[in-house]
Amino acid sequence: MQHISTYQRMIVSGFLFSLFVVIAIATSLGSYEISFMDLLKSNISDLQKSVMIEIRLPRVLLAAFVGASLSLSGSCLQGLFRNPLADPGLIGVSAGAALGATSFIVVGSNWFPQFFLGPYLLPLFSIIGSGIVIGVLFFITKGFGKEGITYLLLAGIAVNAFAGVGIGILTYISDDSELRGLTFWTMGSFGGSSWRMITGAAFIITLTIIWILRDARGLDILQLGEFEAYRLGIDIKKLRYNVIISSAIIVGVSVSLAGMIGFVGLIVPHLTRMVGGVNHKYLLSASALLGAIIMVIADLIARVMIKPAELPVGLITSAIGSPFFLWLIFRMRMR
Amino acid sequence: MSIVISDISYLIKSKRIISQVSLEIKKGEILSILGPNGSGKSTLVRVIAGDINPSSGSISIDGINLNEIKISTRAEIRSVMSQTQSVVYDFSVKDIVEMGWVYSNHKSIYKNFKKNLKIIAYECGIENLLNRKFNTLSGGEQRMVHFARTLIQLSGSINNSPRYMLFDEPTANLDIKRELNILNIIKDRAKKGYGIFVVLHDLNVAYNFSDKVVLIKNGKVEKMGLPDDVFNDESLSKVYEVPVHFDKKIGRVNYY
Repeated sequence: MQHISTYQRMIVSGFLFSLFVVIAIATSLGSYEISFMDLLKSNISDLQKSVMIEIRLPRVLLAAFVGASLSLSGSCLQGLFRNPLADPGLIGVSAGAALGATSFIVVGSNWFPQFFLGPYLLPLFSIIGSGIVIGVLFFITKGFGKEGITYLLLAGIAVNAFAGVGIGILTYISDDSELRGLTFWTMGSFGGSSWRMITGAAFIITLTIIWILRDARGLDILQLGEFEAYRLGIDIKKLRYNVIISSAIIVGVSVSLAGMIGFVGLIVPHLTRMVGGVNHKYLLSASALLGAIIMVIADLIARVMIKPAELPVGLITSAIGSPFFLWLIFRMRMR
Repeated sequence: MSIVISDISYLIKSKRIISQVSLEIKKGEILSILGPNGSGKSTLVRVIAGDINPSSGSISIDGINLNEIKISTRAEIRSVMSQTQSVVYDFSVKDIVEMGWVYSNHKSIYKNFKKNLKIIAYECGIENLLNRKFNTLSGGEQRMVHFARTLIQLSGSINNSPRYMLFDEPTANLDIKRELNILNIIKDRAKKGYGIFVVLHDLNVAYNFSDKVVLIKNGKVEKMGLPDDVFNDESLSKVYEVPVHFDKKIGRVNYY
């Protein structure tokens, strides 16, 4: 059984095509102008070429991967918690990842010599941070049944506040040059991306996405309730473990490279459901693609709005996301 | 060929919810369980379903211990219907019923799904609801959809292998048409060789519809046997703690 309709396949293909178009456009636009027509005629100078290949393309691709990660993890968590308000940012998972990353930079890097596992330690600590938060949230909301919606968000506020304090203290006491400013961690940025940074991340994120897609059917059946799903032959423990681990990995890697970027993981799954349906085989793949598209556009806006300066990308996503969040709460109350 | 429950006890913080219950759910037989609220009926269903592990005692299906049967294999042998939680996202009725089709591993019988869906949807009277959103249905309609899902779940079994259905008050809050519809389908499945275990609250339904009846109180089996043996003024009054009169001639229970 396929569990994805022809119409949904068409939407997914449409998203994939749009993603390539958006990446092409975003790579050619920016504070340093490169005409799209010149690009097509390959009538560009070496400087233009290196700006595009060495600076802009890795940045755009990182935005795409981070957008895909946050949206996919939003979809997975909304499925796992059976809660339409679960978003890695809102419920504190991203904050946990950011706290993990900053603590490693300030405290951990003295303990671990640079050559030991090298650049993988930062994302690893980030992953541990987000994993702990998801685990704690799951533990807290488990016994509450339907009340879990409220508790999840309240716990998220607490975790966010706690992590905010931690990140704030760490950024102010540290003079470590590797630790970027508070704005980077709390509002995110794709500035300073390089190929070296994104290849590992791209590899890990792609593998994790493929891994979690196999659990799409389980997430569908889980919507009947945990006992029902178990009676229908779903190994709930394994499913839960897979979703928690993979969400922690993709959010952790994303945050360690681009900081916390809010609301993408909340909005994109809802938009994806509105367009094509709620079954997870469609939802997971389509929301990853749509998330990538939206993040590339958000980063493009952040780069060109006040050029040559740029805005933190989280400002753009939150500006769009917070009214959407309000609307979502309003709609839930109406039901 | 049966589910054998032997000497099951279930404790929560040293309080006995179920106390040394032994039962056999036989192929082709409807076994009903009756008892006052809080007597442990629903817990017993959950223990037999494997949702929760008993504190002591064992459960076996066709001679194999429940713990040794894979979760995915159990789903092909027995289905369970109990009070369900609401579904958050907008799945269609067809999606919900399809979740009962647990046979995605066997490609050869995939084509049976559409055929079975048609038959079962018609049996349950939900054939016109299949494309509706599940969340827009009434409570009774949602119940029928979940019932259809438990029927679909066992409809793909191969070689007439034994199948069992567990129900926790399947007809609670249903109108009499739907109640009869569900009871008749359950009866039909028993005729086809399914073993049925059903928690009931209506004494008259239990008397007229079961092959065997268990009376349970405070987690203990008070009486078990054929409806004619179990139904008498003395044991019913004792279990429910109110005077109950059973009229054997017309097979009706009276308590007011």
